[in-house]
Amino acid sequence: MENSLMRVEFLGIPRERAGIADLELDAETLGQLLTTLERRFPSLSDVVDAGRLRASFVANLNGDQFIRDPLTRLGSGDCVLILSADAGG
Amino acid sequence: MSVPPFGYHGCYLRIDVSTGSVARVPISDTVLRQFIGGSGLGTWLLIEESQSRPDALAPEAPLIFVFSPLVGSPLTTSAKFAVVSKSPLTDRINDSLASSGFAIAGKQCGCDALVVVGRASELSTLVIDDARVRIDTAEDLRGASCGATETAIKARLGAGYQVAAIGPAGERAVRYATISHDGRHAGRGGSGAVLGSKNLKAIAVRGTQRCEWAHPRELAAYAKALSKRSFGPATAKYRELGTAANLLTFNRLGVLPTRNFQSGTFEEAAAVSPEEISHTRSRTRASCVACTIGCEHIYSLGDDKGVRLEYETLFALGPLCGVGEPDAVLRAARLCDDLGIDTISAGGTIAFAMECVERGWLNEPWLKFGSGDALLRAIDLIGRREGIGDMLADGSRRAAAAIGHDSISIAPQVKGLEIPGYEPRALQTMALGFAVGVRGADHNRSGAYEVDFSDKVDRRNVTVDAVRHAIATEDKAALMDSLVVCKFLRGVFEDFYREAADMLNLVTGWDTTGDELRDTARRIVHLKRQFNLLSGWTPAEDTLPDRFLDKALESDPAAALSRDQLGTLVTEYHRQRGW
Repeated sequence: MENSLMRVEFLGIPRERAGIADLELDAETLGQLLTTLERRFPSLSDVVDAGRLRASFVANLNGDQFIRDPLTRLGSGDCVLILSADAGG
Repeated sequence: MSVPPFGYHGCYLRIDVSTGSVARVPISDTVLRQFIGGSGLGTWLLIEESQSRPDALAPEAPLIFVFSPLVGSPLTTSAKFAVVSKSPLTDRINDSLASSGFAIAGKQCGCDALVVVGRASELSTLVIDDARVRIDTAEDLRGASCGATETAIKARLGAGYQVAAIGPAGERAVRYATISHDGRHAGRGGSGAVLGSKNLKAIAVRGTQRCEWAHPRELAAYAKALSKRSFGPATAKYRELGTAANLLTFNRLGVLPTRNFQSGTFEEAAAVSPEEISHTRSRTRASCVACTIGCEHIYSLGDDKGVRLEYETLFALGPLCGVGEPDAVLRAARLCDDLGIDTISAGGTIAFAMECVERGWLNEPWLKFGSGDALLRAIDLIGRREGIGDMLADGSRRAAAAIGHDSISIAPQVKGLEIPGYEPRALQTMALGFAVGVRGADHNRSGAYEVDFSDKVDRRNVTVDAVRHAIATEDKAALMDSLVVCKFLRGVFEDFYREAADMLNLVTGWDTTGDELRDTARRIVHLKRQFNLLSGWTPAEDTLPDRFLDKALESDPAAALSRDQLGTLVTEYHRQRGW
């Protein structure tokens, strides 16, 4: 299988829950990535549920596109940000 | 007078502080149902009370404090009030919101709103004690900070009073002066200058007249369930980190306005982030009365007075002015709070002046990006209207007119209101929201940034499809600001309009529906625009400064918004609104 190593960055509440700022892992889709995170960080349970982001959170691909669909394809070298969906100030 | 609906008193108090006269004016049930309260009812009253189209700071210009049917109920975040007037900064409508005990005590004076006109003969406190009204001298409080004024008046009047006050900036008609209550501010658009123009240092309210609810038992059960939901993940950001948590996220995404919108990233963002500041300073949390979210994060400056720090304050006094010293930002925030100055307009106007100095258009060599001392000095001068502070106290649009050199192209404002902390070129649905905002550049009346932070649009290349989303956030905000409930609850509701109807029906006994409230929201937005039309609004005002339309954001070449692109969005917005 092709290596799909990517960087995951946590911001805000997801960072508080994960206890780290970033990590690298393998995933081909957003759903796979979230499932891996859920398994590795049980403390992310109010961010990720059953391989999906809860409504209050969103992912961002490479600082560009915001994504939620678990079937979104990811590629090697991608950077996925996990952050609060609510940007109210 | 007919029996008002549950949750209402069915009238407002019209107080002329020139003469001391008071009138209790009925409000029809139809008007209450059509405009609800807060911002919506306030806009209706503003039009009713502004028949002569006065200047914002004229004695006859009304300043309106509006409560709502939900105030005093057990519903979380409902202790809020709107302050509505013509803005001395924009000459358009201004509806600022604030929270806490003033809303409850004001409504218990037996009215749904207070309309204040006239000008007192000396600096005064308007005292409303259960609908008995008097005007006390406040000359001894001239120059006192917002907090000191509130403390002194409460001590003077005794138990039960809630006080909304201005600081020195309101007395001196700084065009973005605030009205402060319990450390929070009706912040934007200069309502503090309007209160000051009436020679009022403060309004003190105390009352005993409680409204009854149509379905008290069911309302209590609903409120309990809503409170429980408000503890969930949808509000975790506000509760645990506060709005200031936006800073590092926005910096990472390149949407953090820096050095007067010259960049979308700030190299010292980490140093002024709440994550870093909370490592080196103690932090406590607080909440408004009747709120279960508790979004306020108060940082210590080493003395017994804490400093409330919100994202907008942090961005405006930090990155926007290039200041990366946490102590300077915290001290600047405190100084603004003491003087009673809107932090967004203060930061925006000072950052604009700093760039003018950098370009050689303004001969104030001390006023440099990155200097915490310069930031503090400039705020102090604005509060006293001394030196360059006199010009900056009028906001960036008027300052640009005085400076010349086409500096208006870099003045960070729409309709005169300084732009909040969302970079428009990289958040283009928000760019539209800023351009068409009836209050000017505004993140509280348009939540269009929510659309940019979603998978609905490409935030750096939005199309007309974004317009309906922007309108939806504007409508939702109009209803939330009229109910009134806190916007930080929005993620808690699964079907906001249906739940808003449920809340309103439990309080009032009405049979309103989600669909009716959608129409109500649109009606309120239209009415605000109607006030602006009467004040001289033209479609040409619905745009952004040239800076945002001429070239891409330097820190993100993909973030470019052409004049044609924005024009297309605005035209489509007007078409969908029927304007």
